[in-house]
Amino acid sequence: MGESSRAAPHGLAIPVPARSAGRTTRRSLDRWFTPLAVLPTFVVMLLVFGLPLLFSLYLSFTGWSLSQDLLGGEFVGWANYQDLLEDPVFLGSLGITFGFTAAAVAAQLGLGLAIALLLNMDLPHMRAFRTALIVPMMITPIVGALCWKLLLDPSHGVFNHWIGERIVWLGMPGTALGAVWIVNVWHSTPYVALILLAGLRSLPSEPGEAAAIDGASRLQMFRHVTLPLLRPYLLVALLLRTIFEFRAFDNIYAMTGGGPANSTMVLSMFTYLVSFVRFDFSLGAAASWMMLVMSMLMCLVFIAVIRRRDAN
Amino acid sequence: MAIVTGSRRTRKLEAALVYLALAALTAAFLFPLLWVLGLSLKTRPQIFSDPPLYLWWPTIEHYVDVLSRADFLKAFLNTLIVSAASVLLSLGVGVPAAYAFARFPFRGRSFLFFALLVMRMLPPIAVLVPMYVLFTKLGLATTRLSVVLAYTTFSLPLVVWIMRGFFEDLPKELEESAWIDGATRYGAFWRVVLPLARPGMVAASILCLQLAWNDFLFAAVLTNNATQTLPVLMAGFSGGDSGVDWGAMTASGMLVILPVIVFSFMAQRHLVAGLSSGSVKG
Repeated sequence: MGESSRAAPHGLAIPVPARSAGRTTRRSLDRWFTPLAVLPTFVVMLLVFGLPLLFSLYLSFTGWSLSQDLLGGEFVGWANYQDLLEDPVFLGSLGITFGFTAAAVAAQLGLGLAIALLLNMDLPHMRAFRTALIVPMMITPIVGALCWKLLLDPSHGVFNHWIGERIVWLGMPGTALGAVWIVNVWHSTPYVALILLAGLRSLPSEPGEAAAIDGASRLQMFRHVTLPLLRPYLLVALLLRTIFEFRAFDNIYAMTGGGPANSTMVLSMFTYLVSFVRFDFSLGAAASWMMLVMSMLMCLVFIAVIRRRDAN
Repeated sequence: MAIVTGSRRTRKLEAALVYLALAALTAAFLFPLLWVLGLSLKTRPQIFSDPPLYLWWPTIEHYVDVLSRADFLKAFLNTLIVSAASVLLSLGVGVPAAYAFARFPFRGRSFLFFALLVMRMLPPIAVLVPMYVLFTKLGLATTRLSVVLAYTTFSLPLVVWIMRGFFEDLPKELEESAWIDGATRYGAFWRVVLPLARPGMVAASILCLQLAWNDFLFAAVLTNNATQTLPVLMAGFSGGDSGVDWGAMTASGMLVILPVIVFSFMAQRHLVAGLSSGSVKG
């Protein structure tokens, strides 16, 4: 069957008279193809993803501990959520997460746009620079964070040697958050640069040429031609990075563990500590659901943006 | 959209400035990695020498040491098993679904498709909390299977997104002529479509492999000393403040990232498509 199709690849095959006996059962089997193809994916996703999420919604309204039966928790209403909203560490982590996400995404977009514009220049050897510049995003995040930890080491780190002081970068609230921010910017700016570079490559050249003939300066051209055309790509990069910075965890775990004095306590770190260090799964579930609701809102914005763009 | 303006001399000056800026950026982006690579090739006294050494005769003693450690080899094997299993599972389950999404309209198709995208974008920690509880109660926690299942839920949407795009770009006539020749949908999918989709599957598996290889959070919670993966082993180095073995730590780190950098360069073309989940044509 497959062999005969290879001989006539463009639909020119003359319909072979059906081997009629098997034809009808085959047709009815074919009708099941789509459900059979799609079903396993959704079974896996519902069992390993959907079910746990529903269970955590249940947990968040109970006082449950690991020694109890799965559904043996006592219903406590909104108490877990109330506890969270009265916990200064949680409220602080909300602020830190939003501030950190905004600062990291802003820096990644700015630097990423600059890199993409440079790499888009029509000059030789750009491929080599592109290859070198995207290396950070390929590094296992926890290893990248440990590399930075060594560079920032108070007594043996190379940065302290250069400035000739012994600053405990990761031990002071102000510098710790800044250090984690730099590592995230270092790690993820290449993603943004790649997305924007793909965008720049796909832009039509006519508007730019027209503007050049009209005598527009480089800056005017960037401001009034390139930037507006690039907007959909900037938007995709912005939303994707926001969604992914919102869940930042690995770097912070490896570098500061949320400290010092909770200054790097982002929501993921808070939820991790509550669930897997204090083993308060009900409170952890409530914190998870707060994160989930916020992420879902961001996703809806993201999807609305993509669909509107695809519709155009 | 590169637009050429200005005289030849200003163009030359401009090119020089562009190269200068790119060289500075490249140096800044690669420095942390290169410095640590350098540390891993120094002897213990050289690592802690003050001022730091910029030129020295490299040694591979830390690599020899790390590669003879039982816990490193065990973790390496665990990471390999877990990554490979989750890639195979994600492809096996996700590729047929991607094909159906690309070719056959059915009720709720676009809703289900975007549901998958949303699942990929939810914060992992939020899924991990109940997952840990359920796996513990089922006796699955600390097994490799638990981590494989967790990774599969994150790579499945990725596989479906990438492969759907790939199938949509394949000419439809190929399967249609196979159908006309009497092939069933199953037969045409297996013998005609899948062989053509091989490049897409390679790209998808590399992206899933990267996801599983690099993950720390799930492995940290769902494994124990016997089943831990490389990122968990690495994090153990940063635990104690005193007596961190810089040589072993840096050499292990380099060994952990080597395979994933090689894979990533193999799939460089597809990285953009993968990370933006099909929302940007790369």
